[in-house]
Amino acid sequence: MERSALYWRVVLLAAPVTVFAVLVIWPLFSSFFYSFTNWNGFNPEYDFVGLENFAKIGSDRLFIGAIINTTIWMVAAILLPTLLGLALALLLDSKVPGGPIFKTLFYLPICLSAVVVGQIWIWIYQADWGLLNTVIRAVSGSSFNYAWLAKPDTSLGSVIVAWSWQQTGLSMVIFLAGLTSIPNDLLEVCEIEGASTWQRIRIVLIPLLTPATVVVVALSVINSLKGFDILYIMTGGGPFHSSDTLAMHMYNESFKKYLMGYGSAISVVLFLIALTIIRIYFRNLKKVDEIYG
Amino acid sequence: MADLHLDNVSKSFGTLEVIRNVCLDVAHGEFIVFVGPSGCGKSTLLRLITGLESVTGGRIFIGGVDVTQVRPSDRRVAMVFQSYALFPHLTVAENIGFGLRLAKRPAAVIRQRVDAVARTLRIKDLLDRKPGQLSGGQRQRVAIGRSIIRSPEVFLFDEPLSNLDAALRVLMRLEITRLHNRLQATMIFVTHDQTEAMTLADRIYVFNQGRIEQSGTPMDLYNSPSNRFVAGFIGSPAMNFLPGKVEQTGDHMMLKIGSTRLRLDQSFTSVSHREISVGIRPEHLRVVESSAGHVRAEVEIIEELGAEVIAYLQIEGISDPITIRLPPQRHVVPGQQVGVRFASEHFHLFGSNGTRLC
Repeated sequence: MERSALYWRVVLLAAPVTVFAVLVIWPLFSSFFYSFTNWNGFNPEYDFVGLENFAKIGSDRLFIGAIINTTIWMVAAILLPTLLGLALALLLDSKVPGGPIFKTLFYLPICLSAVVVGQIWIWIYQADWGLLNTVIRAVSGSSFNYAWLAKPDTSLGSVIVAWSWQQTGLSMVIFLAGLTSIPNDLLEVCEIEGASTWQRIRIVLIPLLTPATVVVVALSVINSLKGFDILYIMTGGGPFHSSDTLAMHMYNESFKKYLMGYGSAISVVLFLIALTIIRIYFRNLKKVDEIYG
Repeated sequence: MADLHLDNVSKSFGTLEVIRNVCLDVAHGEFIVFVGPSGCGKSTLLRLITGLESVTGGRIFIGGVDVTQVRPSDRRVAMVFQSYALFPHLTVAENIGFGLRLAKRPAAVIRQRVDAVARTLRIKDLLDRKPGQLSGGQRQRVAIGRSIIRSPEVFLFDEPLSNLDAALRVLMRLEITRLHNRLQATMIFVTHDQTEAMTLADRIYVFNQGRIEQSGTPMDLYNSPSNRFVAGFIGSPAMNFLPGKVEQTGDHMMLKIGSTRLRLDQSFTSVSHREISVGIRPEHLRVVESSAGHVRAEVEIIEELGAEVIAYLQIEGISDPITIRLPPQRHVVPGQQVGVRFASEHFHLFGSNGTRLC
């Protein structure tokens, strides 16, 4: 290789590699390092405590609650936007009147920041004058004023609805792209062979949308694992930790209780969970590639 | 199996008329080929017969029943697509049994029928594979299997061999012929390849610009093309067309090609003093010594095909090269000056508008 070409390759690669190393690799290894310490986040003095932080995780009632909430959050945050996005894509692909307008409307929430979405839904859920209770009162005729975000039974579910409202547009667009890429010949085979609408969706469209589904699920997994901001805005993990997820719990332990070592241990657990999910994802991606090319 | 009748069928997309008042009949058990260049409307016509497109005008009858407004699934037709249109997520067995599964036939019946079809097409050992694991020829067999399992009235093939390599295409042509012989089914096959048309068809319909140019048996079209388009389209290598002029000299009609005058027989009387196009097939030209030919020519390119040699020659005074089919032992080399003799009894004379003169 010519010396000048090699020089420019090194120079041009150096910038992104440096940014990646400083912003991703270094914090990652720092978390691993601090997870074995009792650092409080400020004091330069700290001690190595070995696996003590990890042992503490096992007996932490709030951590167990956060694991359960994270599981509910992830399953719902993956299933709801995926299913709703698929349903909307199938509906809009069938040339309904005003299709382009609906596509724009459904996609719009993804353009908003989580803070804005969270604030909109806080107003919707507001007990006295929120849109939801106002509608329920108008329909039922009762004086309904349930505080959706302030009750442990409904706080997490309410945030999940807001999250799904925001994410569904993205899933819908990906499924619409997937539907466009299905060869017309295959749909014509359905027509000639006499497939009903339901048979066409079940036997043909949904399986053929597998590559799109893989992308949607992958994005949902990544986004839901990162799903901290909307929870922070809407509930802050409360009331009584009823909407605490692992990310929220880690934040509370690290930055509210100043237990940076313990927070780092929680982040390591979160990292390992993410790693496992991504590994499963890539294994399935290979299978999808073999079938759909 | 049923006959098919198209009565004045036309199809337009907006202002673009792609099928123009087509009338045709297909008898029970016939193997019909629609042939024509790309964009001539042959595939659109097939889609109209299937019901995947609706007609703008005219009517379609299958087995004497007007199916013009009937859904594709109720027309009892099956179609084999150029792309094979196999479902990548289904196994070969599931692809073949797709129609029966939709019809909610019992699993045992589907399995039995799929096995029978797979035996017929010799793909029994492939039943558990996915389409992605099959070769082009195997996929084609699966697509055919899916079409025959429902025992339709009419089989429609939309350029099904186009994606195969040359050797496999020949094999699949034989397979389709065998299948037709075995099933004695009504089949309509669309292709732009005139060799496929000639080798497969009982009868050929030649299409151009949404119209039927001519129909007939392959040899009818080869020997008596009704116009210059058909003459040029049917036959490989294609017919040669030379500019000529018919003149009357005394009692005889003379045909002038370049600087050569050939005496024509009495049947050419109707074309005196016309600027015409003289069609002659490559096998009706002979290469002789340069002094013994009707015209002089220079050999430009030689294609040695084993059983025959195709030579491309440039005739003095004529811009387009001519093609001659030669026996392999007839040795000519590029650059050689030769004479060319015409077998005038094989001339096809066409007027300036392409219609056959005689």
